[in-house]
Amino acid sequence: MKYSILAPYLRNVIPLTLLSSLALYALWPWLPFTRQTIAPRTIVFYGFSILGSVMEQAIFPAFQSQWCAQTGEQVEFISSFAGSGTITNQIIMGVPAELALLSLELDALRLSEAGVIDANSWYALPQRGVINRTPFVILVRPGNPKGIHDFIDLTRPGIGVVHPDPLTSGGANWAIVAEYGAGARADPDRPEAGYDLLLGIWRNVVAQAASARSARTQFENGFGDALITYEQEALYDQARGRLQAEIIYPQRTILSEHTLVIIERHIAPAQRELIDAFVQFLWSEPAQRLFVEYGYRSVYEELNRANPQFGTIGDPFMIDDFGGWPQAKRDIVEGIWKDRVLQELER
Amino acid sequence: MSMSRPSRSAGNRHSSASTVAHPSPWLPVSMLIVVLLPLLLMPLTAVFIFAFRGGIGAFIAALLIPDAQFALRFSLLIAFATALLNGLIGTFAAYVLSRYRFPGQRPLNITVNLPVAIPTVVVGTSLLLLWGPIGLLGHWLDPLGLQPMFTPFGVLLAHLFVTFPYMLSTIKPLLDELETTYEEAAYTIGASRWQTFWYVTLPALRGGIFTGALLTFAHSLGEFGATVLVSGNLRLRTQTAPLYIFAQFEAGNIAAANAVAAVLAALSFVIFFFLLRYTGNGR
Repeated sequence: MKYSILAPYLRNVIPLTLLSSLALYALWPWLPFTRQTIAPRTIVFYGFSILGSVMEQAIFPAFQSQWCAQTGEQVEFISSFAGSGTITNQIIMGVPAELALLSLELDALRLSEAGVIDANSWYALPQRGVINRTPFVILVRPGNPKGIHDFIDLTRPGIGVVHPDPLTSGGANWAIVAEYGAGARADPDRPEAGYDLLLGIWRNVVAQAASARSARTQFENGFGDALITYEQEALYDQARGRLQAEIIYPQRTILSEHTLVIIERHIAPAQRELIDAFVQFLWSEPAQRLFVEYGYRSVYEELNRANPQFGTIGDPFMIDDFGGWPQAKRDIVEGIWKDRVLQELER
Repeated sequence: MSMSRPSRSAGNRHSSASTVAHPSPWLPVSMLIVVLLPLLLMPLTAVFIFAFRGGIGAFIAALLIPDAQFALRFSLLIAFATALLNGLIGTFAAYVLSRYRFPGQRPLNITVNLPVAIPTVVVGTSLLLLWGPIGLLGHWLDPLGLQPMFTPFGVLLAHLFVTFPYMLSTIKPLLDELETTYEEAAYTIGASRWQTFWYVTLPALRGGIFTGALLTFAHSLGEFGATVLVSGNLRLRTQTAPLYIFAQFEAGNIAAANAVAAVLAALSFVIFFFLLRYTGNGR
């Protein structure tokens, strides 16, 4: 082996140069001469998984320009999006969220049980805290090769259903009530109709993902024949020409409602005005129009005409038709799905 | 480093002698490659192919997203800090465990190596149950406004825990093998314990410290299991590069995830290359 005289120096120079350039790159934004002098004001926002695109691409920028026009201040959104149950657990564990948009009210109830927010504090908000809605639909492979037209078709042998996990996903809880409700309302005289449909569908569940969003990713990666999911997600992709599936509107399905909670104990007095302004903005017409544009159904029915893609549902129902979430959770998700369906399937 | 060179060439001569004695290597080598192809080589290639599928412009654009830039920088800073702090604590721990005899040494020795065996998710959970607002200590700290979890400091704590044994495992064997006669000689000519450590022991450990720090750095750069629990996954605040990759992948932004994944993979190749060079095991 030959070494030039320079070799020992080169041996040290190359790694040291690499190392210091890495360190320089890492430190760059925090160096005194590169630092921005005026730190922007911040809002820490946690949201459930499918909200990521509408919030980051539309709602946050719209509010940023509105606030800047009113006050001249820059607002930065520090956000995190994951399954509704996951962010609820994170907030209980103490993440510094100021606002959280949950995919179901049950998670808000869990937060109040844990003492993070006051009981029923979201009822004081407009629409009892509900920001927008979206029905549950079925996604099938292009051309609908298995001929699926309603929930009942998912019970046929040989159909693989991808379903989010009710333990961590709010969407999964909605889906269970949608499946049960569709069965019960189709045959109101037979008490077991809801249970039968739910059992039939769950017999065919081949994959359970942690969030509605990751169930979707699994389906896109080729798992299963059908996915039960939010209409919004499918419409959002369809509008961008990315939907590799067909949307099937069940005759009967639930409209999910998404609840905003304000975590008062994380809001410093100086933040009050900014947070209130943003909360108000969420129910304003411009924000609600943005939601409609991104495939959510507005809480103001007249705005929904703006999106011609919204499909028709013969018999839409709400969680209030089952006595609200606490009762539906106890009777349907726990009482029927967990105690009876899972027992029957021995999962 | 200088010690390893003669032994390396000696090893070469030995191995070339033994290859002659063996039958043709082609069959076992090609079998090994067939096994490794789907296990290691093809997944690694896939990351790079997907990263550059949209062209170099799309790759750069994906990297320049502020969230991606922050995540990469944040991961690097945490990795530097972890390597530095564990470099100090780990060297100290190795020195104490190698040079002193005391009751309870064996249990302590096992404990400091334990993080290798503990699942990282368990590390994250245990940190939350100690420092989190409902945790053993956090319970008392929270009212005081002290909240180490879900901050960069919390991420650092997790990384220090997870990577702790790396320094130890590279330095302690060196210390154990290092002839105590050198240190004794230093004492006889009147050097203090500190002087002996600084002028005699430490220079002999240089290569080991470097290797250990690189291993720590590399592991910290890729840490996921503990970080995901203690960081709160806040963009522009506590989201490390692996968390960014996971979040983007989950959100269906495969291109954004892959660009950062390719950078992480390339960085770890560079680190690995230096590790091989400095430990001399590469030949």
